[in-house]
Amino acid sequence: MNCKELVYLLGDFFEGSMEEHLRQELAVHIERCEPCMNFLKTYDKTRILCRQIQPEEIPEEVRNRLKAFVLQKAREHHRDIEKYLERAARERREQVADILRAYVANRLSMTMNLLFRTHRDRCDRCGAFLKGLNGGKAIPEIPPDIEDHIAEFLEALPPGESPVIG
Amino acid sequence: MPAERLLDDNVLLEELRKGTPDAVEMLFDRFHSKIYSLAMSILKNESDAEEAAQDVFLTVVRKADTFKGNSALYSWIYRICVNTCLMRLRGKRRGETVSIEDFMPVFTEEGMHASLIDDWSKEVERKALDKELGQVIRRFTENLSEKYRVVFVLSDVEGLSNEETAEILGLTVPAVKSRLHRARLYLREQLSRYLREGKAE
Ligand SMILES: [Zn+2]
Repeated sequence: MNCKELVYLLGDFFEGSMEEHLRQELAVHIERCEPCMNFLKTYDKTRILCRQIQPEEIPEEVRNRLKAFVLQKAREHHRDIEKYLERAARERREQVADILRAYVANRLSMTMNLLFRTHRDRCDRCGAFLKGLNGGKAIPEIPPDIEDHIAEFLEALPPGESPVIG
Repeated sequence: MPAERLLDDNVLLEELRKGTPDAVEMLFDRFHSKIYSLAMSILKNESDAEEAAQDVFLTVVRKADTFKGNSALYSWIYRICVNTCLMRLRGKRRGETVSIEDFMPVFTEEGMHASLIDDWSKEVERKALDKELGQVIRRFTENLSEKYRVVFVLSDVEGLSNEETAEILGLTVPAVKSRLHRARLYLREQLSRYLREGKAE
């Protein structure tokens, strides 16, 4: 091992990840080479000094300002999300009501009609609700579980297909 | 909800997604010092660091939904911080960086030291210069290109392991080790010159 190789290996040496035979070669070299001994000691000292560097502390004033900003923006962000979710829920409610009106008026698309009839015979909750609609004029309040079921039909429709005729 | 539960990363994330105000506050309290000091180390300027820290928190709040949890929360946040800072640096005119090559040890053709190597390690201890030298080292690292500086900061200032640093920066562990080694060779040489001349270059 020459000086150049020794310097190259110092990182591994101090990490303790050096192979044993290299470690021995290094020990032999360092015994006889003062520059390398000096290099090793100052490299080690540099490492130690580097590790003592303290992270930059955040000034009190910056911390307070930053915290107020983050909390405020997070609130706005979640308010936006809530608004979005509310709008989506409202749109779904309206869509389901539209479909029920079309059901009563016999204006469901073929696929939708099929989905409705199959489901009506299988699901007691929806079946009873839909029977109650027959002949009725106004659509009553739709219970949430029934809304869920009917909204599922919408997802079952091929993309781009309208659930309602006309 | 008891605040201790938010110390669990998974609970914290779940609550962040729901927008629980306590969760945002816990996120802030736990990470703001780290984010700020990391941003300061990379950007070297208080107002830049503050703006970067703002961006980091907003990104974390907005992306909490999409975070997959296949890495630790802190390492995800550090990565966002490093990326945010590097992006900011790109948009700015950088102060001069030194070439690390000018500070690498020199050897003869036979691979022997080609310059005089003094041992100043004891001298430094005697003078109890540690604190002052910390400042000096910090100044020297500021002249390094980001490639080395970021690795140095994560490893030596923030005290992360090579594995953690590698994960945050998307580097291999050997690449981290090699950059760290070169950064130390550079700093060793800068310190030698500083102590020899009694003043910084
Ligand atoms: Zn040697």
